[in-house]
Amino acid sequence: MSKETIVPMRARDMRRQSLHQKAGRAVYLLAVYAFLLLMAAIVLFPFYWMLISSLKTLEEYRMSTPTFWPQRIMLGNYVTAFTTANLGRLFLNTMIVGVVSTLLSLVITILTAFAFARLEFKGKELLFAALLATMMIPGELFTITNYSTVTTLGWRNTYTVLIVPFLVSVFYIYLLRQNFLQIPNELYLAAKVDGTSDLKYLWKVMIPLSLPTLISITILKMMGAWNSYIWPRLVANDEAHRMITNGLRNAFTETTGDVNYPVQMAAVALVSAPLFLVFIFLRKYIMSGVSRSGIKG
Amino acid sequence: MLKKIVSLLLLTAMLLGCLSAAQAESAPGFAVPEGGYDGSEVTITFYHTMGSNLTAVLDTYIAEFNELYPNIHIEYTSVGNYDDVRDQVSTEITVGTQPNIAYCYPDHVALYNLAQVVATLDNLIASQETVTRADGTTEILGLTDEQKADFIEGYYNEGMQFGDGLMYTMPLSKSTEVLYYNKTFFDENGLTVPTTWEEMEAVCAKIKEIDPNSIPLGYDSEANWFITMCEQYGSPYTSATGDHFLFNNEQNRAFVKMFREWYQKGYLTTQTLYGAYTSGLFVSTTETKSYMSIGSSAGATYQRPAANADGTYPFEVGIATIPQVSEDNRKVISQGPSVCIFEKENPQEVVASWLFVKFLTTNVNFQAEFSMASGYVPVLKSVSDNEVYAAFLDSADGGDYISALSAKVCLEQEDAYYTSPAFNGSSTARDQVGMLLAKCLTADDGGDVDAMIERAFQDAVDECEYSF
Amino acid sequence: MVDSKHQWKAWIYLAPAIALLLVFTVWPIINTVRMAFLENYSGLKAAGGQAFAFGLGNFTKVIEYRRFVSCLKNTVLLCVWTVPISTVLALLIAVSLNAIRPLQRTLQTIFFLPYVTNSIAIGMVFAAMFNIVGSFYGTENEIVVTAGIINNIIEFFGGEPVNWINYGSTYTANLTVMIVYIVWNALPFKILVLLGGLQSINKQYYEAARVDGTPRWRVLTRITVPLLSPMLAYVIITSFIDGFKEYTSIVGIFGENMGPPDDAGRLNTMVGFIYDSLSTNSQGRASAAALILFAIILVVTLVNLRISKKRVHY
Repeated sequence: MSKETIVPMRARDMRRQSLHQKAGRAVYLLAVYAFLLLMAAIVLFPFYWMLISSLKTLEEYRMSTPTFWPQRIMLGNYVTAFTTANLGRLFLNTMIVGVVSTLLSLVITILTAFAFARLEFKGKELLFAALLATMMIPGELFTITNYSTVTTLGWRNTYTVLIVPFLVSVFYIYLLRQNFLQIPNELYLAAKVDGTSDLKYLWKVMIPLSLPTLISITILKMMGAWNSYIWPRLVANDEAHRMITNGLRNAFTETTGDVNYPVQMAAVALVSAPLFLVFIFLRKYIMSGVSRSGIKG
Repeated sequence: MLKKIVSLLLLTAMLLGCLSAAQAESAPGFAVPEGGYDGSEVTITFYHTMGSNLTAVLDTYIAEFNELYPNIHIEYTSVGNYDDVRDQVSTEITVGTQPNIAYCYPDHVALYNLAQVVATLDNLIASQETVTRADGTTEILGLTDEQKADFIEGYYNEGMQFGDGLMYTMPLSKSTEVLYYNKTFFDENGLTVPTTWEEMEAVCAKIKEIDPNSIPLGYDSEANWFITMCEQYGSPYTSATGDHFLFNNEQNRAFVKMFREWYQKGYLTTQTLYGAYTSGLFVSTTETKSYMSIGSSAGATYQRPAANADGTYPFEVGIATIPQVSEDNRKVISQGPSVCIFEKENPQEVVASWLFVKFLTTNVNFQAEFSMASGYVPVLKSVSDNEVYAAFLDSADGGDYISALSAKVCLEQEDAYYTSPAFNGSSTARDQVGMLLAKCLTADDGGDVDAMIERAFQDAVDECEYSF
Repeated sequence: MVDSKHQWKAWIYLAPAIALLLVFTVWPIINTVRMAFLENYSGLKAAGGQAFAFGLGNFTKVIEYRRFVSCLKNTVLLCVWTVPISTVLALLIAVSLNAIRPLQRTLQTIFFLPYVTNSIAIGMVFAAMFNIVGSFYGTENEIVVTAGIINNIIEFFGGEPVNWINYGSTYTANLTVMIVYIVWNALPFKILVLLGGLQSINKQYYEAARVDGTPRWRVLTRITVPLLSPMLAYVIITSFIDGFKEYTSIVGIFGENMGPPDDAGRLNTMVGFIYDSLSTNSQGRASAAALILFAIILVVTLVNLRISKKRVHY
């Protein structure tokens, strides 16, 4: 800071300064809001598009000039969507796969990230680099080999095949490791001195401190289950295990190969709704995060 | 050691070959087991792309089939679109878990043939084995002469487009391209529907005079257009044997150049060039319009304008055969699903699959009902005599019953259907000629049209050769 | 030997992940390498009992492809543009969100919405926004039915409409659309991660800065960014990796043509090339291309890691 702050200021100057500050803050806030609202509008647009598409007639959807508001509101699309596809079963399958794979994946991710962030072992750097390297090969190439693996294991048309092959995500391990690394090492050493076991430390300190990241991972993983398409279709496309995206795609494809997009959009909107509610519920946790944990930097 | 194994394998193969040859003096490929279907319990998996309205029809006929063959259990899966079926099946083939029956296009079968897993049908079709059905009646395993003759020839021959003369697929339901035109507009202005490309040019010129702001003709698919023109001119496109990619020739460059000139006069556009569905342009009543549209016969309902509040239509749609180069050599493309049967360790599965495929493709009632539900046309001539279907065809008009009108036009041109050779690489060729046409219609020629077109053709051939 | 006991423990923590990775990732990678070195390998041909010679044929074939250089160039260009833009934007949005009170919840929800928006919808919107519907551009017969929302906005502000993705469009215009689309797609995930990271920063740092009267810009560059550096490193490294694997977004805008109608393949990328090879069942060639791509990403990631090691504060 400059010298001026040391020299005592006269009252008028101080008042002027604070006015100045207030004006500055107002302008700053205005800019922040303008920026956020603009970005929000841009981000919102496809969502809006999904909703209005789901309310259009097929004729209107196929018009050359896209309309921004449905000429005739077709709530019937939602009824069709709900009755055509066996939504209940699809939903249940997706929930089972989503929840189980998220839970297991979280456990594995936490353990692995902890090992990379806090434990010392030979070849740690190398192993981590190798892990990162596996992300760099386009996953489509794995499909054929993995398909033959799960067939050999006799896993086709089971929940296992939908859950197990994708439990480990290097992306998530990496993300969580970054978060773990931020937690001061002193805490860990102190816990060691107190005789706290690693697992207990992980449970009592690391996990609460990384809650926002863990919730982000949960959301991403659930979304993954929701959107996965190619693999489930390949390995478990029977009625009992079919997942939502497959079910939706099949139900609204016409013989000509054309998709009845308005009805498909309606179905998508229907199945997105629970996910959206889950987010609204979890957002509190994402935001509350660490501030309450009382850790001193 | 390795040599020994190899020679042993060769020997076994030869022996097996002799054995199967000795069984009957039959065509190579799948050998029909003695006695045909033995009535054993088999489960047949069937991959298709049907939506729920069509699986409802399918269910009815599976039930009917099961009254005849209660031990053949049909399990079907709707896999998505045609490409999805192809990808799914080709992955499954690599570990030998492919289905028994799949919806297919000739390109797909050419791909599966790399693994030699598609059962050839010649011996099954020719088989005279008698099969006893659950109701006590019998049928021969193969096709009777009447059954064979009932297939629309162009559709039936599609199964033999693979360069070795063998039959690999059976047609299930078909579609083609038809010319949709704005009948109201044509009548008002005294225009006649063009039957040749020459007439087409004249009609486009007239329409452009009447409504300068219109695009007289919209063509859905550039690839179909290019391939159909090759067929109509009788110029080479591809071949299943020898040199595959033959489409770079003077005749083809000439018609491409001609259409480029039409395009520059504002006569026509295509789906990719227009940037939206050409059917959207055709049914439009407010914005820029087209008065003719060439598209799939199965998509007739998309070519009908939205109804007014009182249920009438803003204009009447007419449907005709697409223009030809010459009336003596009429050619229209044959599209739509066929089915193929896969080899299995248990030959009974193949025979059972065949019985089901035969049931679907030769059952007049199924063909009629499936066609009405799907907008496709039946593959049997006698379906037109089916009471329900005949009533359906009679109802044909340019409004509510446009699907019937489209089906009617398709059935009237049954002698004109062609299919292209199928080989590994034929789908690339198809993609490439489509892009080639789009490019040649629009690209900046830099002052030398012929050089630009020649260059584009050469590039397309290069791409085909590369991925082959 | 506390050390060796520790080692033993670490491996127990790692065991589940490593076991699964061995089966579902490492083994496929080994198989990929095998296929890459078998000349003209095709899964279907192999299933049909065909044998393949060992050799480098797949690699030479990939490099000889006439559009190979263009695929590489597109891949690199998209990466170099989209990673910095999306990271900076996401950072600004996350910091802004963190700085406001009213509307905070609503806005957070909005920035999450793309996650529950179906990807088909997103592709359709972007195509519709930039697409010109019409024909005969540049001729006397020119017809434009719709110029697209983006062009409408440009015209509203008095600008000249641009041919973004239709035939006759320029490479620069195509690339611009792709950059906008990819950045848009990348934003929500980055915002989520960075926001999560911001929440972990102790408020005391900011209070200290406020007492000092430090200008906001300096707070951002001197406090927020360094403290957020592990998350930023994560976001940057993973988005470089993702960027090199760009493919589906291009299909979303341009369709399987991978370019405007008059120049199909213009925007094709390395992964696009891999897909093309897979669809003709040339797994050998696809594997070779994947290994080439892998080598490139590896080098970039190593450079990234080295830089982040110097810059990241834990």
